[in-house]
Amino acid sequence: MVRRPKLFIAGVVVLIVAATTPMRGLAQRSGPTRWQNDVTPIGPSDWNYDFAAHLLERAGFGGTPEEIDALARMTPAEAVRRLVYFQSIENNLPPFDHSGIHDPGLEPFPESRPAVTKMAKEKGEALGIKVKPGGDRPLQPIVNKFFYWLRASVLETQRVGYWWANRMLATHHPLEEKMALFWHGHFAVNEAKVRDYRKTLGQLELFYKYGTGSFHELMVAVAQDPAMLSFLDAGVNVKGAPNENFAREIMELFTMGVGNYSEKDVREAARAFTGWNYVDLQFVVNKDKHDEGTKIFLGQTGNFDGVDVIDMILKQPVTSRFIAGKIYRYFVRQDLNPEFQEKLGAVLRNNDYKIAPLLETIFLSRDFYSAASVGAQIKSPVQLAISTFKKLGLTEVPGVPDFNVATGTLGQRLFSPPTVAGWSEGRSWITPGLLLERGNFVRDVLFPDINFIPPDRANPAADVRIVAEKIRAGMDISTATIPERGSEGGLAESNMLADRDEDFNTRYGSFRGWQMAIEKVKPIPRQTAHLDLTRMVVDAGLKNTTQVVDYFIQRFMRVPPAEEKRQVLISFLNTQLSMTDVSVATTYMEDSLRLLLHLLMSEPEYQLS
Amino acid sequence: MMKIKRREFLEAGLYGIGIGAAGLLPVPPLFARAAQALGPQASNDGRILVVLELSGGNDGLNTVVPYGDDAYYRLRPKIGIRPARVRKIDEHFGFNPGMTGFERLYKEGKLAVVHGCGYANPSFSHFTSMAYWQTAAPNSGGEFGWVGRTADAIAPQAPPNFLVNIDARQSLAVRSKVHTPLVFDDPNKFAREGFYDERDIFAKVADAGNVENPSRRFLLDVARSAKSASAFVKQAWASYKSPVDYGITGLDLPKVAALIHAGMPAHLYYVSYRNNAFDTHVFQGDLHQRLLTYTSDAVSAFITDLQRIGRGNDVVVMMFSEFGRRVPENSNLGTDHGAANLMFVAGQKVKGGHYGKIPSLTQLDDGDNLVYTTDFRRVYATMISGWLGFKDTAGILNGNFEAFDMFAV
Repeated sequence: MVRRPKLFIAGVVVLIVAATTPMRGLAQRSGPTRWQNDVTPIGPSDWNYDFAAHLLERAGFGGTPEEIDALARMTPAEAVRRLVYFQSIENNLPPFDHSGIHDPGLEPFPESRPAVTKMAKEKGEALGIKVKPGGDRPLQPIVNKFFYWLRASVLETQRVGYWWANRMLATHHPLEEKMALFWHGHFAVNEAKVRDYRKTLGQLELFYKYGTGSFHELMVAVAQDPAMLSFLDAGVNVKGAPNENFAREIMELFTMGVGNYSEKDVREAARAFTGWNYVDLQFVVNKDKHDEGTKIFLGQTGNFDGVDVIDMILKQPVTSRFIAGKIYRYFVRQDLNPEFQEKLGAVLRNNDYKIAPLLETIFLSRDFYSAASVGAQIKSPVQLAISTFKKLGLTEVPGVPDFNVATGTLGQRLFSPPTVAGWSEGRSWITPGLLLERGNFVRDVLFPDINFIPPDRANPAADVRIVAEKIRAGMDISTATIPERGSEGGLAESNMLADRDEDFNTRYGSFRGWQMAIEKVKPIPRQTAHLDLTRMVVDAGLKNTTQVVDYFIQRFMRVPPAEEKRQVLISFLNTQLSMTDVSVATTYMEDSLRLLLHLLMSEPEYQLS
Repeated sequence: MMKIKRREFLEAGLYGIGIGAAGLLPVPPLFARAAQALGPQASNDGRILVVLELSGGNDGLNTVVPYGDDAYYRLRPKIGIRPARVRKIDEHFGFNPGMTGFERLYKEGKLAVVHGCGYANPSFSHFTSMAYWQTAAPNSGGEFGWVGRTADAIAPQAPPNFLVNIDARQSLAVRSKVHTPLVFDDPNKFAREGFYDERDIFAKVADAGNVENPSRRFLLDVARSAKSASAFVKQAWASYKSPVDYGITGLDLPKVAALIHAGMPAHLYYVSYRNNAFDTHVFQGDLHQRLLTYTSDAVSAFITDLQRIGRGNDVVVMMFSEFGRRVPENSNLGTDHGAANLMFVAGQKVKGGHYGKIPSLTQLDDGDNLVYTTDFRRVYATMISGWLGFKDTAGILNGNFEAFDMFAV
């Protein structure tokens, strides 16, 4: 039987490990099958280290043995309250450090490059820049600035991604971050469409403000926030010509789910939201564009506005079931029976749509600790990355590999959900390609690529690079921007669309915009992970290779690999070290330990939480 | 080319004249052995279906423009594409000005346009309607996708790598009861990157055996699929050099061409124009044209490329979107979610022309949408029976849907 580090004596971990470790000890304990769908709170006598580990894994991003042990020494009610009602716990996290890339001339930002040049031709200026009275390409500086802002906002969004990831890693309120990530997937907004990092960051701040508070307040705040208004084209929803996008997604994705309202309800709700808009970062209602007429919505009649519609939606019991069910699936497991879902919905309704009591109920329930729930979840890419860093004992998100690129490759780039429906979660995180990529991600953390090129400094699209080289070689803009490819199959139409406008050159603007953006946006620090696995092994008092493999399995995995695999890994380490006695190998075992960890973290079981 | 004189056509459709298959190159047996190792289906005589999903709801009316119908311009006074700009294919229809590739395919008789595709009680939700299309189960849905079920029916022994989905996420359309679809995105990254010392261990993938945890079973199955295909895919892509220009995005079709060229045993491929791209609610003119140019470039290049590698007669591409768009334009120079829409089928063996009854622009439904005239599952049935040669489409599609006569013998 394995004993985990439970005794803390003046900061020294005393670990007692039996010489031979039977596999049974590696599997995480879970509650009995009959606990499934049982909302009864577990009691102090049920509580143990494995349950605490499971709680921290789901309500946060996992933890080190020390962090898990701290929770294990509380009662389950205390541990859950510690995570859910985190507000009183000190959390010194730095605010986002803006690069200072925005200026008032950029507002309102036109919807496309043609719109910018049209505006410039009509008004004599655009984006805060006047049209040159004569000379070559009088609109070029305006086109440059258009591309500048697009690129600068993308790059700053990457910095916001790092800032958020570092919060997830360093916070003492892990559930706050986990809920923010949930809401980011729920109220999915993509920077590529919003094209303004300040708006997407502003939305994230709403998730911090209301994330475990009232869903009603959150829903209204999100609906009146420029990020969502922009993302769902709310600004173009006006009296006499309602645009349904905003109203439809509020009902289908954010509150009730499809099938609980009619198409007529969508159209009537759209009328209620007419006139909602934003100016820069401010919500506004354009009174003259708001439809003051009578609407019939969900069977009621009145001169409703958007907030009335949200109020009425939240009075539908289905909304509480929808939200509670989605939160449950995010934290516990994918399958959820309707009766259990109704119980959770009732918790939400009875608590005036406050999220925290629902979370407390879920995390204390027997269901949460039942065999069906433990080890059943596939980690999201962000969860995989942050929990890996956390369990490695890192205090900073490494700059290599790039966090945004790595999680994006795995299917979850922050501020870039694939559609308004957010991420699908569960099995959709995994494909054969992505499973391999997960192992490659771990490799890149443990053995950083020395040829790494920071994506926020270099490596824009190939056509931009080619233009940059030609301009530097002294070519004129027209020659430098002629597309290069000619081929046997002929040039595709899209590649033949060379600039024909004499007033500006789009390809040059695209290049120059990058250059200007890189100048303004602060670089992302590129430190690699500072790892010392040797120290980890020595501090844990491990004596032989078997103990090392088992310690790594326990520390890093919620579901151990097959026994056969464990044996293979033990013999791998034996071969690597030329012996089984770890104490003799202390001075040269670091790389071998990293290989071992890479192998372990590439196992399918490492993807489970 | 036959001229279209009337707005409505016979169900059987009118065909363009196909050109003869000339100048085919023999397929170099580059990967013969590697392909053999992948599975028993590896052969060059098998027909291949490529499904291209245009996500977001493509505006069919501005794709194949009914410029001969005054109602079109009445309903779309601002975003309607003027007759002078349309790439005319007959006296009634013309392609969007951005679609030279489709115009060429059509005039060469390699492109079928199926009109009025949809289903009763249409959903206007992207996700719901897409799920209906992907499962071929309108107003219900299902656990498995229609492409996955087709694989189950045609190859119940589930030979590996029968079904390929190139995307960042697996599509519901390919979810299968017995097959593990091969899903990857970037072939260069579809590889286990390990060190020399680790290779023996990475070579061993544990068997799912009697594992009870369903998530763990799933992961072990996927791990085996990854191991069996990744080296092949990476090699196929690395050795694939094509002189054909697929345009700006390629829509993953060059990857499909590379796998076909290398002898991948797959008979079903699923790719998509991703991320709801076609959801053109506002200022759609330039944007929509650009999307169509990319699509048209990629598909026409793919057909050309397949001919080049000598597989032109073996492959067709079927294109669909989860819905069309509202017939009247909205006040933002865009269009909202609609109902019936066009589907396209392209390929050397396709009998080009119009199929299906043209929906009326003057008799719209209550929501100003086109009323569907062709159940979209008829086109699926056409692919399954007419192209892939599996006759019992009713078992796959949960109902009898009459196939079109769409393919030259």
